[in-house]
Amino acid sequence: MSKRFLALLAALLVLSSCGGSGPGGPKQGDKLTIAIGVDPDFLDPMRQQTTTIQNIVSMVVETLVFVDPDGKYKPLLATSWQPAADGLSWTFTLRSGVKFSDGTPFNAAAVKANFDRILTPDNICPLCGAFRAVQSVDAIDDTHVKLNLKTSVAPMLGLMTEVTFGFLAPSTIVKGTDNYKDQEKPVGTGPYLYSGDRVKGDHLSVTRNDQYWGAKPSYKTQMFKIVPEAASREALVRSGGADVILLPPASDIPAMQKDPTLKVILAQGDRTIFLAFNQSSKGNPLLQKPEVRRALNYAVNKEQIVKSILFGAASPMDAPMASSLFGYCKTGPYAYDPVKAKQMLADAGASNLSIKFIAPTGRYIQDFQAAQAIANDLTAVGVKVDGPTTKDWPSYLGTINVAPANSSVDLHLLGWAPGFLDASQAMTQFQSSQWPTKGLATSYYKNAEVDTLLAKANSESDQAARQADYCAASKLIWNDAPWIFLWVQRFPVVTTAKVTGVQTIPNESFYTVYASPA
Amino acid sequence: MITYVARRVLASVPTLWGVATVVFVMARLLPGDPARVIAGVLASPEDVERIRQSMGLDKPLLVQYGYFLSSLLRFNLGTSAHTGQPVIEEIASRLPYTIELAAIALAIAVVVGLLAGIAAAIRRNTMLDLLISSFSVFGVSMPVYWLGLMMIIVFAIDFRLLPAAGAEEPTSIVMPALTLALFSLGLIARMTRSSMLEVLGQDFVRTARAKGAPIRTVVFRHALRNALLPIMTVIGLQFGSLLGGAVVTETVFAWPGVGRLLVDSIFFRDYPVMQGLVLMFGTTFVVINLLVDLLYAYVDPRIHYT
Repeated sequence: MSKRFLALLAALLVLSSCGGSGPGGPKQGDKLTIAIGVDPDFLDPMRQQTTTIQNIVSMVVETLVFVDPDGKYKPLLATSWQPAADGLSWTFTLRSGVKFSDGTPFNAAAVKANFDRILTPDNICPLCGAFRAVQSVDAIDDTHVKLNLKTSVAPMLGLMTEVTFGFLAPSTIVKGTDNYKDQEKPVGTGPYLYSGDRVKGDHLSVTRNDQYWGAKPSYKTQMFKIVPEAASREALVRSGGADVILLPPASDIPAMQKDPTLKVILAQGDRTIFLAFNQSSKGNPLLQKPEVRRALNYAVNKEQIVKSILFGAASPMDAPMASSLFGYCKTGPYAYDPVKAKQMLADAGASNLSIKFIAPTGRYIQDFQAAQAIANDLTAVGVKVDGPTTKDWPSYLGTINVAPANSSVDLHLLGWAPGFLDASQAMTQFQSSQWPTKGLATSYYKNAEVDTLLAKANSESDQAARQADYCAASKLIWNDAPWIFLWVQRFPVVTTAKVTGVQTIPNESFYTVYASPA
Repeated sequence: MITYVARRVLASVPTLWGVATVVFVMARLLPGDPARVIAGVLASPEDVERIRQSMGLDKPLLVQYGYFLSSLLRFNLGTSAHTGQPVIEEIASRLPYTIELAAIALAIAVVVGLLAGIAAAIRRNTMLDLLISSFSVFGVSMPVYWLGLMMIIVFAIDFRLLPAAGAEEPTSIVMPALTLALFSLGLIARMTRSSMLEVLGQDFVRTARAKGAPIRTVVFRHALRNALLPIMTVIGLQFGSLLGGAVVTETVFAWPGVGRLLVDSIFFRDYPVMQGLVLMFGTTFVVINLLVDLLYAYVDPRIHYT
């Protein structure tokens, strides 16, 4: 080897170890390792239905609109948008010059191809929901797309931030082929590429898209390690085997907060955790009375449970929805007051109330542990509590997601998180049209006034009026107390101190695209 | 011999049919609706119904069962309801990891367990015996879950010698294999010790010693060979329980084997994958039992199979 070559090599080594994209810019990194709990079942944006997987897919596949870490809607593949006055169509202006990573252009035809695909009745699109109001998609010209709606969809922008409505290169989703139903190698326009580097059950990697139209990320590779056990994820971030982990064991959060080599992010979330009263005629008749339900709201010491059982990974609810959602207004809280609760129960003739109570295990942060504490609080005000008992998730869902006539418990714990930061999806819990099996409004709550307000808010395009309607509905709901309003769960993410720029979006998403070495 | 093997293989058909039937029925006895799991909580009842039809779950149970059996006869395990991939591919991509884990764990358990058991038997009622016996009890009684996490804390976090979880590095196998081995190791050591003690007290051993055979020959050729039958039975059964123990070990160490696939398939009510895996476990048991029986004849020439 010549001396010159060695010198060059040395110079290269020095350069690469310094890294950096010039003064002030973030340092360049080689690989960011993120430990997650679930193994992606589908990488096709149309078919996935899990937040963690959406996070991964959205690094590869982009949407028209982006929700930033502050919860604001920002242009992404669309640069502007305009709803029609009657709300029955939306026109999006597309960003020009964007290419899919296979080199084909992103344009109106690509948007139409993708939207047509997810609306194809035979295709499975678990999160399509409100998007089914789209009647047809017109590619007006190369950079303009018009969505024609059957009914007006007020939260259209929120919907357009969901990766379900992201864009795959049309050449990879050809009608009549298998990939029209399921494309497990998504080719998008995003800052990272997925080349199929994956061992099922072990890891999945994405690599930087050097042709990306926007700001280039710092890390060349981001690897998602699949580690189902929370304690093992914690071990990984403590031992340097991972840079970022999601959902550490809640009980270790205080210890990790004290560790200077770690950073704990208790991100704001949008998942409400609540106890739904069975208000159908099959439930305990006393639970039909709002004053009984209100009394039980006073009986549970939410602050104490959040502090001692959830280790701070939640904030008590002060409205029927999370404060990160559009449409939120403060209506509460129900302050802990067991004496008042007992008195209210006595006044309502419910002194010997007896309820059957179930809660899931491991679905939400400290769910069953919290349920046990809640059962204690309820017993303390004289309620006879049968439970909590627990079941694995599909059985649990099979117990509560049933027509009213088949309901079998009085009280169950559930979490509900809208996919985008708008009240519309959160409030389906209080719409009588969403009673199982049509939806998952498992408390079988019905208030005609609330139904009217929500239907109006879901379709009107005047955002101020929507806000007012959601607020009015929230006040009615809070007073009717169809739930014991518990807390809004936070989204704990832990990183090593060697990493910076890990962000979160208040819908339980992490955003590591622009993370970099500290 | 060949007729014996043929008969055993034939006899295993009803066993496996039984296993297939039991898993088929049990999967469907579980509450929870697979079509709903796949369609998602936001799906309309019509969507759920459409998916149920596409999965054939709207058919009467007997029809589903008939379809399941006839596919099985063509070695078709179906496609995963959860991921849409063929079950055989799902299993094939995970199985090598579990086999690697179970085989290494078994090797450790057999070699160390046999030697420790022999040592304890020869030096019975000494410190060494006490030490080995206590360690065996420890191995048998420690929950895999707890032990795995303790090893992670010590070797991955405190000393940073080994990766905490995953399967990427060559050293990744060390902790899961050791954790998984420990239970079987303890059991094999205890079995070896008691079986050896029984044999060591017998006349032919005394005769061998009396005629001046070196201790090594006496122990390994005379005593061990005679003590081996019950030990082999335990080892054979252990391979099966190693596959079972792998479920927990794979979860703690994020090892991408079939144990975790089984857990996932149960949580997603993925009937085809559940059925495929349980059948595979069943077949493994049957094959290993057969191999152990055949090995008996090799170890003890008095046993003949016709």
